[in-house]
Amino acid sequence: MPALVEVRDICKIYNPGENEVRALDHVSLTIEEGEFVAIIGQSGSGKSTLMNMLGCLDTPTSGIYLLHGMDVSHMSDDEQSDVRNREIGFIFQGFNLIQSLTALENVELPLMYRGVPKRKRRELSVAALEHVGLGKRMTHKPSELSGGQQQRVAIARAIAQAPPILLADEPTGNLDSGSSREIIATIKNLYAEGRTVILITHDPGIAAQAKRIITISDGKIAKDEINENFTL
Amino acid sequence: MEYIKSAFSSIKQNKGRTFLTMLGIFIGISSVITILSIGNGMKVFVNSSLDEISSGGVTINLDPKKTDRYLEPEDLERIKDAVPEMQGITLTISSSGTYNDGKDDRQLGITGGTADISHEETKGMHAGRFFRDDEAEAGTAVCVISQQDALLLFRTDDVVDKTFTVDIGSKSVDLMIVGVAKSSDEDIESAKEAIKKKEEAYYYCSIYVPYALLTGRFGLAGDKITSFKIYTNPGMADETALKVKSVTENMLELRGEGAVQIQSFASIAGAYTSILDVVTLVVALIAAISLVVGGIGVMNIMTVTVTERTREIGIRKSLGARTSYILIQFLTESAIITLIGGMIGMLMGFLFTKIAENFMSFPPAISPMNVLMVVAISIADGLFFGIYPARRAAKMDPIEALRQE
Repeated sequence: MPALVEVRDICKIYNPGENEVRALDHVSLTIEEGEFVAIIGQSGSGKSTLMNMLGCLDTPTSGIYLLHGMDVSHMSDDEQSDVRNREIGFIFQGFNLIQSLTALENVELPLMYRGVPKRKRRELSVAALEHVGLGKRMTHKPSELSGGQQQRVAIARAIAQAPPILLADEPTGNLDSGSSREIIATIKNLYAEGRTVILITHDPGIAAQAKRIITISDGKIAKDEINENFTL
Repeated sequence: MEYIKSAFSSIKQNKGRTFLTMLGIFIGISSVITILSIGNGMKVFVNSSLDEISSGGVTINLDPKKTDRYLEPEDLERIKDAVPEMQGITLTISSSGTYNDGKDDRQLGITGGTADISHEETKGMHAGRFFRDDEAEAGTAVCVISQQDALLLFRTDDVVDKTFTVDIGSKSVDLMIVGVAKSSDEDIESAKEAIKKKEEAYYYCSIYVPYALLTGRFGLAGDKITSFKIYTNPGMADETALKVKSVTENMLELRGEGAVQIQSFASIAGAYTSILDVVTLVVALIAAISLVVGGIGVMNIMTVTVTERTREIGIRKSLGARTSYILIQFLTESAIITLIGGMIGMLMGFLFTKIAENFMSFPPAISPMNVLMVVAISIADGLFFGIYPARRAAKMDPIEALRQE
């Protein structure tokens, strides 16, 4: 069986030519189903580019990216949209909720794009919001929720469609320490339930919560190690 | 459905500026509706009034620039025999005179003809009879008047056997009314209205008299006929007229000279309505320019909306929205703006039309076709001018869009 994520020799080069920037320089890595991986790096290390690549938001200059053994690195915009919709649940630093929609409507969005019928969509979304402990805030708009609550709405949105990969980009970056702990606990919980989690962060304290830690620097993988101190 | 819901929620958030944008569409649509309705009403009015007077009558003229030949009264009989489907044929002599009703000198249109001129009045007789051919030839001092004109002249339509004095030129004659031709209820109503307002003296009335009365006693040329009228089934008017034309040409040896000309009401009506159509179209096109201006307003506001919602577009794309979804979402929004603008414009158009009705002698007609067209035009307006901003939104790079604050 092919690995869930297999990145082979990927490069991303901005401004090809004299002033070229190699955001990713021959990166290869494999992530199996059910792993909890943190990708850590300083700003400018190329971790955001890697995350965009893994999230099918960007295409590499060279190299291939296999998802379930399928090459997703050279797809059209619409094909990439479909892959994102089916395969990836995003959790962003800035929550990225649509302000004009309620919590429930936000969670329903990816299901709508997938063409899930209205009733089923509602059912799944309600279940996801209850799962993250927001069963009583479903009709609130994002502006009526705290940062931690907004991030939990975003998590509900990411898991409602049960995608194979959860991709969390600095999920605690905009939160106070209390909310951060809560969110990390929620993410760990999702891993415990069998989901594959990829956590991108610059914070070693956050990275240390993951089971496998990949350090990236100057567009290359500097370290890839199992976290001996991992506890659930 | 989702598109429409999302469009409405976004419109609701920007009520003020959306309304201002709608104004443009709304002004355009209401003026187009008003103009089309007025044009339509004018056409209906012209058609119906021409229908009313046409009665299958066709005038045949000898062009004085091409021939100096003429027909004599007996020739008309021969044409009538040659074209049996014709219902009537008469020379017509037009003149005018005055009648003093004791207070005012009333202007009168006087038409002389044979008994066949009775076809001019299509509704039949209200009372009495038309004058006969022997009276027409003898020039007996009798006349026929319509019900409406009887009311206007004498304030009653019970005028059979009444005699009144008419001055034609320097001479005068005592005419006996032998018949009253029926008028439409509408015409009778308007005559009664005029009497009530004491305005009847402003109306121009007309009477029919035997042609020989005018040729004989008043010396008007009548035995040299250069113009006559035929009556036939309205559906066959053109066909019959052509036959009469060729018979006349043969009789006068004018074949191929182009001297005999047909002047049918159908052709006049056709010319009228096609002119009206062009005028209406031109004015409507000018009004339609405001639709273009309104559409540019929509394009403008949608571009602003797209820019403001860059982040939202990025979020939607990252969650798996396809290009087409974003495209349709914004196109729906602009089409709804113009559709609502169009609907309000249509209501205002109806209102303007109602107001216009009070200032015009004919009722403007709003056709369901126009309404349908307006709905289609306003949606098309929104779609067309929405394409540019919607494409901008759909083509956004999700990474760039998400970076936007």
